[in-house]
Formats: sequence, structure tokens, C-alpha cells
Amino acid sequence: MLARTFEEAGISTVLVTLMPFWSERLGVPRTVGVEFPYGHLLGQPGDRDTQMGVIRAALKLLEEATGPGEVRELDYVWPQEVDEAKRDWQPPEPSPIIKMMLGQRRAQRQGRS
Amino acid sequence: MTVDSFRFLPGSIAAYYQNMTVQREDPVPFTPLAKPLDQCRFALVTTAGIHDEGKEPPFDTEREKREPMWGDPSFRRIPKDISQEQIGACHLHTNNRDVLLDVNILLPVQRFLELESEGAIGSLAPTSYSFMGYQPDTTEWRQKYGPDAAALMKDEGVDAVLLTPS
Repeated sequence: MLARTFEEAGISTVLVTLMPFWSERLGVPRTVGVEFPYGHLLGQPGDRDTQMGVIRAALKLLEEATGPGEVRELDYVWPQEVDEAKRDWQPPEPSPIIKMMLGQRRAQRQGRS
Repeated sequence: MTVDSFRFLPGSIAAYYQNMTVQREDPVPFTPLAKPLDQCRFALVTTAGIHDEGKEPPFDTEREKREPMWGDPSFRRIPKDISQEQIGACHLHTNNRDVLLDVNILLPVQRFLELESEGAIGSLAPTSYSFMGYQPDTTEWRQKYGPDAAALMKDEGVDAVLLTPS
């Protein structure tokens, strides 16, 4: 979304994402995909090598892409066990929208009983 | 290897995303890189919802708590020399613990300063930008805040942007 606005203003962009699924569906100028948990686009805190590796791959794509829509997926493996990583990125309490949806579901169940 | 976009998501959210219908707008805009990387000026743009503590206000998460279908569409400016201690974070949809330990996992200012000093890029612009990732309605991004940020970047001579959505 923002990438498109910046490209239209004459600024080249490259997006690093955990969800290249969306880039393919929405049409993003240049995408680098990594299989990392939410909120950790470039790796773990203090992991300078991974952060720099992802950035250098993004710069390379910026330099080499000849047209819109290219997606390059990187083969980094997240060091944490999946279930632990799934829990770890989530906020300490559910977000307002999740709270609202849980409340609606509860109200529906009570309405039926 | 193919990246599994849903690996770290709870099943219910993954299913919701997979079944969502989206409107793709073609053509996709594309600005070729105008100069070699070592002459380009970069800005960083994240949707991590971080801010420069004490200099600019945090995002309006109080309103989001009252109106869960609303997300603050404005942006905050992050100076290139920001220290880790100045980073504030208030994203309600992810855990902010790790970005408060190391901002470079989402807004890699230190890494870009290193690239600047090794000569791999021309420079990091004085200002980078932080938006709030939760945006049920992107109209204001499209009509106001996206173009406003682009204009500020143009004023600072930015050629290219690294985007890190969160």
C-alpha cells in the first residue's frame, strides 16, 4: 500500500515481509520474503548478521529488479521452536479487535442457550 | 524453499486471511533505481508503531481501544541518530518486547549507518518513518499520510526506501 504510493512519487521501494502471500495477491513492486514470526522482519534482537543478510538481499533486489512484482524468498530458518515462537510474538493481552470478536462470540453463544 | 506465510499464525487467523478476498490494482507502480546503490539516499519505513519517546507523542491507541475498527493513520518521524533508549512502542497487535530491546529488527537504522560508513549505500536520510500497522481502513494512508511522507522524503533527497511492515 505505502510502497505503491512511494513508487508513484518516484521513489524506488523494496518490502521485507513475513507474508509474501499478500505480495503476490496485492501486487507489490519488490518483495523479499522471510519465514520469521510477526514483529521480527530482520531477525532476532542482537542478531546483526541475520539483520544485515536480509538487508543486503533487499538491496540486491532493488538493484536487479527490472519490473514490478518480483518476490524473492530467503532460506533463513527461525531458531525457535514453532509453538514457542507462535506464542512469543503475540501481545501480552488480546488486541481490541480480538477482544471485541471474542465478546461477540460469547454473546452469540449466550443468545443461543 | 518457499516461505510459509502462515507458519507462525494461530490457525483461526491463518484461515481468515486465506479466505479473504482482495482487490488487486494493476498496473503495479514501479520506479527503477535511478543510481547505483552507493550513490542512493535511503529512508526506512516501518509499520511497527514505534515513536521517538519524549519528542513526538505515541500513536493513539486509546482511541483504538474504544473503537477497535479504527487504527491511527498518522506517522511518526524517527531521526537517523536515535538511540535504543529513545524508542517507544505501543503496537497492540504484537509483543513490543523485542523491538524495545533492538529497534533494528524492524527499523534497521544502525545497520544502515554501517552500510553508509562502508560505502555500500550513499547515505541514510536524516529522517525515517513509523506508521501503525493496524489499519482496517487505508483511505487516509492513500490520500494523506502516504503522500505526506513521500513529500518529506523528496525534500530530503530520498531515492529509495526499505519497508518493513509489522
